[in-house]
Amino acid sequence: MRGIKLMNSKGRDADVASTSVRHTSRVRWLDDQGRQVRNVRILKSTLDHDLDRLLEEHGDPAKVADAMVEGDPEIDFEQYGSYLEDTSRVYVDPDRKILYSVQEWEVVRTPEGEEKERRPRVVSQANAGIEAPLRWSGKLLKRNAVYNRFMFALKQQLVHVNGLTYDFLFGIAKELEDKDSLMLVGAGPKSNQPLIFQRNGTAYRGFLEGRTQGEKYCLLLHLSNMELKGLPA
Amino acid sequence: MARALKFNYRDTELAAEMQKVDRSKLYGKVDVETLDDQGRPCTLATLASDGRTLIGKGGSALGVVSFDGKWLERGKLTPVDLQGEKIEPVPSSFSAPIALEETATIEEYLSHLVRSAYQLDLGEAGAPLLEALKEGTIFTFKYSYRGGLEYDQAFLLCNPDGVPFMLVGTPADIKFVGLAEETGLSDEDEEEAGGDDDDLDFSMM
Repeated sequence: MRGIKLMNSKGRDADVASTSVRHTSRVRWLDDQGRQVRNVRILKSTLDHDLDRLLEEHGDPAKVADAMVEGDPEIDFEQYGSYLEDTSRVYVDPDRKILYSVQEWEVVRTPEGEEKERRPRVVSQANAGIEAPLRWSGKLLKRNAVYNRFMFALKQQLVHVNGLTYDFLFGIAKELEDKDSLMLVGAGPKSNQPLIFQRNGTAYRGFLEGRTQGEKYCLLLHLSNMELKGLPA
Repeated sequence: MARALKFNYRDTELAAEMQKVDRSKLYGKVDVETLDDQGRPCTLATLASDGRTLIGKGGSALGVVSFDGKWLERGKLTPVDLQGEKIEPVPSSFSAPIALEETATIEEYLSHLVRSAYQLDLGEAGAPLLEALKEGTIFTFKYSYRGGLEYDQAFLLCNPDGVPFMLVGTPADIKFVGLAEETGLSDEDEEEAGGDDDDLDFSMM
């Protein structure tokens, strides 16, 4: 659950919470005695024993093959097979040295795969959280006109954190339900910027949907980064 | 050649060719190149917890062990649900025609997280089905690409241009909340909100 600041149609904002609605797998695995098992990550090979390293050391593939027959230079018997935990992702240079500073470039490609542009990578900053409110854009899209225009890959459910925000969110849900519409939600002062939930995260268009059931409500923020349109011929 | 699903619609069997639709096919994509200070390309590797062992792509594998750490063969394990009942594997949806009998409302469709989209070619035999989809009918059925332990939920619908799609996803865990529900942020949640863990973090862009 994370905090999010939301504005209603009257321009009032409130800090509420958003929860993941991701479906969790309901499958467990048991061994032949009915005991639950666990997954582990195992070390198979390391960079200092890979083929490139062996070629450097022995010169050519035939000599590497000879070395592998005579001994086992590709295997580190002390380490291989051990469990991997608390690992980190690092960049390494062609000499297999860890890098502490890199240059990142974005290569923009067309749908056909052709390079269109090359530019330094810009790190996008989160813009949907508790610092700045997601404003009421007022851009309403009828539910039956929007459901088949976008692929809604993710959702967040917005929930209250106290009695005041219960009234606040229930009111928004009711208002949207009465209008049978989803509201376009964007970041920025004009609500026209895509939503980014974490630094360097994926940018999404947001669509707020409200449902009510008696005194209960369900306020969903549907997220999409793809239109549902036909492939180019 | 595109793979085809078989449908039964109003006693007519038809084959629908599927083409996966993703962002790169519609908009292109952005690759990231990483260079060192000499302009040489760099690669991502995994650093083990000892701080010196470097593991390249394909250098690790998943295994299954018992509670006391003994290696287990995956084929000898039994899948069960949360109640401990054995789960029977489901067949691939390509193994038999799918009867299109059940429809979904827009609200039901919007209550799912869509993972994959496929553009369909329904052919001439699919004209009546296409007509129904263009009128706004949403058909739904259980779907599994390869077969496995759980079905996904699939939806057939048309976009505003009349192009038929199949959307595959899973039900979202949503619920109606009332005033009495405990939904507030705990101290732990506040910490999490500021951390790196993020359900929205997947590299589609």
